Amino acid sequence: MNELTAVRSLATLPVVTLGGDAVAHVKDTVFDPSARGIASFTLTGRTLLSGPLPRDLPWPAVHCLGRDAVMVRDAGALCDLPLSVVRRDTVRGRLLGAQVLTDEGEAVGTVLDVLVEGGTSGRLVAFRLAARRDLVHGSRHRRHGVYVPRGEVSGVSGRTLVIPAHATTYVTDDVPAFTARVGARHGRGAAR
Amino acid sequence: MLFSRVRGLPVLTPGDAGRVGVVRALTVGAAPWRVASVRIARGRLRRDAVVAWSALGAAGPDLLTARSAEDSDPVPAHHELVGSRVLTECGEERGTVLDAAFDPLTGRIEAVLTTSGELTPDRLLGLGDHALVVRTGSGRPPG
Repeated sequence: MNELTAVRSLATLPVVTLGGDAVAHVKDTVFDPSARGIASFTLTGRTLLSGPLPRDLPWPAVHCLGRDAVMVRDAGALCDLPLSVVRRDTVRGRLLGAQVLTDEGEAVGTVLDVLVEGGTSGRLVAFRLAARRDLVHGSRHRRHGVYVPRGEVSGVSGRTLVIPAHATTYVTDDVPAFTARVGARHGRGAAR
Repeated sequence: MLFSRVRGLPVLTPGDAGRVGVVRALTVGAAPWRVASVRIARGRLRRDAVVAWSALGAAGPDLLTARSAEDSDPVPAHHELVGSRVLTECGEERGTVLDAAFDPLTGRIEAVLTTSGELTPDRLLGLGDHALVVRTGSGRPPG
Protein backbone atom coordinates (compact mmCIF):
# COMPACT_ATOMS: atom_id res chain seq x y z
CA MET A 1 0.00 0.00 0.00
CA ASN A 2 1.27 3.48 -0.82
CA GLU A 3 2.10 5.90 1.96
CA LEU A 4 -0.65 8.30 2.98
CA THR A 5 -0.03 12.00 2.48
CA ALA A 6 -1.92 14.96 3.90
CA VAL A 7 -2.96 17.30 1.11
CA ARG A 8 -2.02 20.37 3.14
CA SER A 9 1.57 19.16 3.14
CA LEU A 10 1.60 19.06 -0.67
CA ALA A 11 1.41 22.87 -0.98
CA THR A 12 4.85 24.27 -1.96
CA LEU A 13 6.13 20.78 -2.88
CA PRO A 14 8.42 21.05 -5.93
CA VAL A 15 7.42 19.51 -9.25
CA VAL A 16 10.59 17.81 -10.46
CA THR A 17 11.36 16.17 -13.81
CA LEU A 18 13.18 12.83 -13.99
CA GLY A 19 16.03 14.93 -15.35
CA GLY A 20 16.33 16.59 -11.94
CA ASP A 21 14.98 20.06 -12.82
CA ALA A 22 12.31 21.73 -10.68
CA VAL A 23 9.74 23.23 -13.06
CA ALA A 24 7.13 24.56 -10.61
CA HIS A 25 5.73 24.28 -7.10
CA VAL A 26 2.36 22.89 -6.07
CA LYS A 27 -0.15 25.55 -5.09
CA ASP A 28 -3.41 23.64 -4.64
CA THR A 29 -4.69 20.12 -5.06
CA VAL A 30 -7.82 19.77 -7.16
CA PHE A 31 -10.04 16.69 -6.70
CA ASP A 32 -12.40 15.11 -9.19
CA PRO A 33 -16.09 15.99 -8.78
CA SER A 34 -16.89 12.75 -6.97
CA ALA A 35 -13.94 13.25 -4.57
CA ARG A 36 -12.42 9.86 -5.29
CA GLY A 37 -8.94 11.05 -6.21
CA ILE A 38 -6.66 13.86 -7.28
CA ALA A 39 -7.64 15.41 -10.61
CA SER A 40 -4.80 17.91 -10.96
CA PHE A 41 -2.49 20.34 -9.20
CA THR A 42 -2.44 24.09 -9.69
CA LEU A 43 1.04 25.56 -9.69
CA THR A 44 3.14 28.54 -8.73
CA GLY A 45 6.49 29.60 -10.07
CA ARG A 46 9.72 28.50 -8.46
CA THR A 47 10.72 31.70 -6.73
CA LEU A 48 9.26 33.11 -3.54
CA LEU A 49 7.60 36.07 -5.23
CA SER A 50 6.36 34.35 -8.38
CA GLY A 51 2.60 34.12 -8.53
CA PRO A 52 0.30 31.39 -9.81
CA LEU A 53 1.22 29.88 -13.15
CA PRO A 54 -1.26 29.74 -16.06
CA ARG A 55 -0.63 25.99 -16.14
CA ASP A 56 -1.75 22.96 -14.26
CA LEU A 57 -0.49 19.44 -13.79
CA PRO A 58 -3.14 16.81 -14.58
CA TRP A 59 -2.87 13.67 -12.43
CA PRO A 60 -2.31 11.28 -15.40
CA ALA A 61 0.88 13.23 -16.19
CA VAL A 62 2.28 12.63 -12.69
CA HIS A 63 5.02 10.00 -12.64
CA CYS A 64 4.91 9.59 -8.86
CA LEU A 65 3.70 11.55 -5.85
CA GLY A 66 6.32 11.40 -3.12
CA ARG A 67 6.88 12.88 0.32
CA ASP A 68 9.42 15.40 -0.97
CA ALA A 69 8.45 16.05 -4.59
CA VAL A 70 5.88 15.50 -7.29
CA MET A 71 7.77 13.71 -10.04
CA VAL A 72 6.94 14.20 -13.73
CA ARG A 73 8.63 12.72 -16.77
CA ASP A 74 9.53 16.12 -18.26
CA ALA A 75 8.36 19.73 -18.42
CA GLY A 76 5.88 18.77 -21.16
CA ALA A 77 3.68 17.25 -18.43
CA LEU A 78 2.40 20.72 -17.52
CA CYS A 79 -0.67 21.92 -19.45
CA ASP A 80 -1.15 25.54 -20.43
CA LEU A 81 -4.44 26.94 -19.13
CA PRO A 82 -5.80 30.48 -18.74
CA LEU A 83 -5.47 31.68 -15.13
CA SER A 84 -9.25 32.16 -14.93
CA VAL A 85 -9.78 28.45 -15.67
CA VAL A 86 -7.12 27.48 -13.13
CA ARG A 87 -8.83 29.61 -10.46
CA ARG A 88 -12.28 28.21 -11.30
CA ASP A 89 -11.03 24.62 -11.12
CA THR A 90 -9.32 25.37 -7.82
CA VAL A 91 -12.50 26.70 -6.26
CA ARG A 92 -14.59 23.79 -7.58
CA GLY A 93 -12.17 21.03 -6.75
CA ARG A 94 -10.79 22.23 -3.45
CA LEU A 95 -12.16 20.15 -0.60
CA LEU A 96 -10.35 21.93 2.24
CA GLY A 97 -12.90 23.96 4.18
CA ALA A 98 -15.86 22.08 2.71
CA GLN A 99 -18.84 21.65 5.02
CA VAL A 100 -19.73 18.19 6.30
CA LEU A 101 -23.40 17.34 6.82
CA THR A 102 -25.15 14.19 7.93
CA ASP A 103 -27.79 12.72 5.63
CA GLU A 104 -30.31 14.18 8.08
CA GLY A 105 -29.04 17.67 7.20
CA GLU A 106 -27.18 18.34 10.43
CA ALA A 107 -23.84 20.17 10.10
CA VAL A 108 -21.15 18.20 11.90
CA GLY A 109 -17.98 20.04 10.91
CA THR A 110 -15.68 21.19 8.13
CA VAL A 111 -12.85 19.49 6.25
CA LEU A 112 -9.45 20.45 7.68
CA ASP A 113 -7.33 18.15 5.55
CA VAL A 114 -7.56 15.25 3.14
CA LEU A 115 -5.46 12.09 3.16
CA VAL A 116 -4.48 10.69 -0.22
CA GLU A 117 -2.43 7.70 -1.29
CA GLY A 118 0.89 8.73 -2.74
CA GLY A 119 2.84 6.97 -5.45
CA THR A 120 0.92 6.45 -8.65
CA SER A 121 -2.48 6.08 -6.97
CA GLY A 122 -3.66 9.55 -5.91
CA ARG A 123 -6.72 7.89 -4.34
CA LEU A 124 -8.55 9.85 -1.68
CA VAL A 125 -8.55 7.78 1.52
CA ALA A 126 -9.99 9.92 4.31
CA PHE A 127 -10.98 13.38 5.46
CA ARG A 128 -9.73 15.06 8.62
CA LEU A 129 -12.48 17.13 10.16
CA ALA A 130 -12.85 20.00 12.53
CA ALA A 131 -15.80 18.24 14.12
CA ARG A 132 -18.56 19.83 16.11
CA ARG A 133 -19.42 18.57 19.56
CA ASP A 134 -22.44 16.67 18.17
CA LEU A 135 -20.10 14.29 16.31
CA VAL A 136 -17.24 13.96 18.77
CA HIS A 137 -17.10 15.12 22.36
CA GLY A 138 -13.98 16.45 24.00
CA SER A 139 -11.39 19.18 23.63
CA ARG A 140 -10.84 21.27 20.52
CA HIS A 141 -7.60 19.35 19.89
CA ARG A 142 -9.51 16.06 20.03
CA ARG A 143 -12.24 17.34 17.73
CA HIS A 144 -9.63 18.44 15.16
CA GLY A 145 -8.18 14.94 15.03
CA VAL A 146 -11.31 13.29 13.67
CA TYR A 147 -10.93 11.18 10.54
CA VAL A 148 -13.74 9.95 8.32
CA PRO A 149 -12.77 7.28 5.76
CA ARG A 150 -13.75 8.14 2.18
CA GLY A 151 -15.93 5.01 2.07
CA GLU A 152 -18.17 6.47 4.78
CA VAL A 153 -18.99 9.54 2.68
CA SER A 154 -22.25 8.89 0.90
CA GLY A 155 -22.27 11.97 -1.31
CA VAL A 156 -20.33 15.00 -2.46
CA SER A 157 -22.16 18.02 -3.73
CA GLY A 158 -20.03 21.01 -4.61
CA ARG A 159 -18.32 22.07 -1.41
CA THR A 160 -20.46 19.86 0.82
CA LEU A 161 -19.84 16.30 1.97
CA VAL A 162 -22.65 14.13 3.22
CA ILE A 163 -21.99 11.33 5.70
CA PRO A 164 -24.54 8.95 7.21
CA ALA A 165 -25.68 9.94 10.70
CA HIS A 166 -24.18 6.68 12.00
CA ALA A 167 -20.86 7.14 10.13
CA THR A 168 -17.79 5.56 11.67
CA THR A 169 -15.25 8.16 12.67
CA TYR A 170 -11.81 7.75 14.16
CA VAL A 171 -10.22 10.14 16.61
CA THR A 172 -6.46 9.91 16.41
CA ASP A 173 -3.25 11.95 16.42
CA ASP A 174 -1.43 9.15 14.71
CA VAL A 175 -2.02 8.82 10.97
CA PRO A 176 -0.11 5.50 10.59
CA ALA A 177 -2.24 3.99 13.37
CA PHE A 178 -5.35 5.30 11.67
CA THR A 179 -4.23 3.73 8.39
CA ALA A 180 -3.67 0.40 10.12
CA ARG A 181 -7.12 0.53 11.73
CA VAL A 182 -8.86 1.41 8.47
CA GLY A 183 -6.83 -1.25 6.65
CA ALA A 184 -7.74 -3.89 9.26
CA ARG A 185 -11.39 -2.93 9.07
CA HIS A 186 -11.38 -3.16 5.26
CA GLY A 187 -9.55 -6.48 5.52
CA ARG A 188 -12.25 -7.88 7.83
CA GLY A 189 -14.90 -6.55 5.45
CA ALA A 190 -13.29 -8.27 2.50
CA ALA A 191 -12.95 -11.54 4.42
CA ARG A 192 -16.66 -11.70 5.13
CA MET B 1 39.74 9.31 -9.15
CA LEU B 2 37.45 11.33 -6.86
CA PHE B 3 35.79 14.64 -7.73
CA SER B 4 37.05 16.05 -4.44
CA ARG B 5 40.65 15.23 -5.43
CA VAL B 6 40.35 16.97 -8.80
CA ARG B 7 38.91 20.27 -7.58
CA GLY B 8 41.64 22.81 -7.07
CA LEU B 9 44.23 20.92 -9.17
CA PRO B 10 46.29 23.17 -11.47
CA VAL B 11 45.65 22.89 -15.21
CA LEU B 12 48.66 23.28 -17.47
CA THR B 13 49.02 23.50 -21.23
CA PRO B 14 51.99 21.93 -22.97
CA GLY B 15 54.69 24.20 -24.32
CA ASP B 16 55.37 27.67 -22.97
CA ALA B 17 51.77 28.66 -22.23
CA GLY B 18 52.20 27.33 -18.70
CA ARG B 19 49.51 27.29 -16.07
CA VAL B 20 45.96 28.04 -17.23
CA GLY B 21 44.24 28.05 -13.87
CA VAL B 22 42.77 25.62 -11.38
CA VAL B 23 39.84 23.20 -11.66
CA ARG B 24 36.73 24.86 -10.28
CA ALA B 25 34.19 22.14 -11.09
CA LEU B 26 33.46 19.09 -13.20
CA THR B 27 30.36 19.04 -15.40
CA VAL B 28 28.62 15.70 -15.69
CA GLY B 29 26.82 14.44 -18.79
CA ALA B 30 24.29 11.63 -18.86
CA ALA B 31 23.89 8.51 -21.03
CA PRO B 32 26.51 7.31 -20.47
CA TRP B 33 27.27 9.04 -17.17
CA ARG B 34 30.66 10.66 -17.52
CA VAL B 35 32.60 13.82 -16.83
CA ALA B 36 31.77 15.92 -19.87
CA SER B 37 33.88 19.00 -19.21
CA VAL B 38 36.04 20.85 -16.73
CA ARG B 39 35.46 24.42 -15.60
CA ILE B 40 38.78 26.13 -15.08
CA ALA B 41 39.03 29.22 -12.89
CA ARG B 42 41.49 31.58 -14.60
CA GLY B 43 41.61 34.38 -12.05
CA ARG B 44 39.36 37.12 -10.72
CA LEU B 45 39.18 39.21 -13.86
CA ARG B 46 38.75 36.44 -16.40
CA ARG B 47 35.73 34.24 -16.83
CA ASP B 48 36.02 30.48 -16.37
CA ALA B 49 37.15 28.39 -19.31
CA VAL B 50 35.10 25.28 -20.10
CA VAL B 51 37.17 22.51 -21.61
CA ALA B 52 35.73 19.17 -22.72
CA TRP B 53 37.15 16.19 -20.83
CA SER B 54 38.13 14.65 -24.18
CA ALA B 55 40.25 17.75 -24.90
CA LEU B 56 42.41 17.14 -21.83
CA GLY B 57 45.80 15.64 -22.47
CA ALA B 58 46.30 13.82 -19.17
CA ALA B 59 44.85 13.68 -15.71
CA GLY B 60 47.30 12.93 -12.94
CA PRO B 61 47.06 13.00 -9.16
CA ASP B 62 48.68 16.45 -8.96
CA LEU B 63 47.74 18.23 -12.19
CA LEU B 64 45.71 18.16 -15.39
CA THR B 65 47.08 19.05 -18.78
CA ALA B 66 44.91 20.61 -21.47
CA ARG B 67 45.73 20.71 -25.16
CA SER B 68 44.17 24.16 -25.32
CA ALA B 69 42.81 26.63 -22.78
CA GLU B 70 40.08 27.78 -25.15
CA ASP B 71 36.40 26.88 -24.63
CA SER B 72 35.37 23.63 -26.24
CA ASP B 73 32.35 23.05 -28.43
CA PRO B 74 28.96 23.17 -26.68
CA VAL B 75 28.99 21.10 -23.52
CA PRO B 76 26.05 20.08 -21.27
CA ALA B 77 24.63 22.72 -18.91
CA HIS B 78 26.57 22.72 -15.66
CA HIS B 79 24.86 21.32 -12.59
CA GLU B 80 26.95 20.67 -9.55
CA LEU B 81 26.93 16.96 -8.70
CA VAL B 82 28.73 17.15 -5.37
CA GLY B 83 26.40 18.67 -2.80
CA SER B 84 23.23 18.14 -4.82
CA ARG B 85 20.28 16.48 -3.09
CA VAL B 86 19.38 12.93 -4.08
CA LEU B 87 15.77 12.27 -4.99
CA THR B 88 14.27 8.94 -5.96
CA GLU B 89 11.98 8.71 -8.97
CA CYS B 90 9.18 8.28 -6.40
CA GLY B 91 9.85 11.72 -4.97
CA GLU B 92 11.62 10.70 -1.74
CA GLU B 93 14.79 12.45 -0.64
CA ARG B 94 17.79 10.21 0.03
CA GLY B 95 20.40 12.61 1.37
CA THR B 96 22.99 14.52 -0.62
CA VAL B 97 25.94 13.68 -2.84
CA LEU B 98 29.24 13.68 -0.95
CA ASP B 99 31.61 12.75 -3.77
CA ALA B 100 31.86 10.75 -6.98
CA ALA B 101 34.48 8.42 -8.39
CA PHE B 102 35.32 8.38 -12.10
CA ASP B 103 37.80 6.83 -14.51
CA PRO B 104 40.37 9.55 -15.37
CA LEU B 105 41.04 8.01 -18.78
CA THR B 106 37.50 7.86 -20.11
CA GLY B 107 35.74 10.21 -17.69
CA ARG B 108 33.10 7.55 -16.96
CA ILE B 109 31.42 7.84 -13.57
CA GLU B 110 32.04 4.67 -11.56
CA ALA B 111 30.15 5.44 -8.35
CA VAL B 112 28.38 8.27 -6.59
CA LEU B 113 28.89 8.49 -2.84
CA THR B 114 25.93 9.90 -0.94
CA THR B 115 25.06 10.40 2.70
CA SER B 116 22.82 7.33 2.35
CA GLY B 117 25.31 5.02 0.66
CA GLU B 118 26.94 4.35 -2.67
CA LEU B 119 25.11 4.50 -6.01
CA THR B 120 26.18 2.76 -9.19
CA PRO B 121 25.77 4.66 -12.49
CA ASP B 122 22.92 2.40 -13.64
CA ARG B 123 20.82 3.83 -10.78
CA LEU B 124 21.19 7.42 -12.02
CA LEU B 125 18.35 8.98 -14.01
CA GLY B 126 19.07 12.69 -14.28
CA LEU B 127 20.97 15.58 -12.76
CA GLY B 128 19.26 18.96 -12.87
CA ASP B 129 19.09 22.23 -11.00
CA HIS B 130 17.04 20.68 -8.17
CA ALA B 131 18.42 17.20 -7.58
CA LEU B 132 20.10 14.06 -8.77
CA VAL B 133 17.23 11.69 -9.56
CA VAL B 134 17.87 7.98 -9.00
CA ARG B 135 15.96 4.79 -9.71
CA THR B 136 14.22 3.10 -6.83
CA GLY B 137 13.61 -0.21 -8.56
CA SER B 138 16.11 -3.06 -8.67
CA GLY B 139 19.42 -3.17 -6.92
CA ARG B 140 20.55 -2.16 -3.48
CA PRO B 141 18.42 0.67 -2.04
CA PRO B 142 20.38 3.84 -1.30
CA GLY B 143 19.22 4.05 2.29
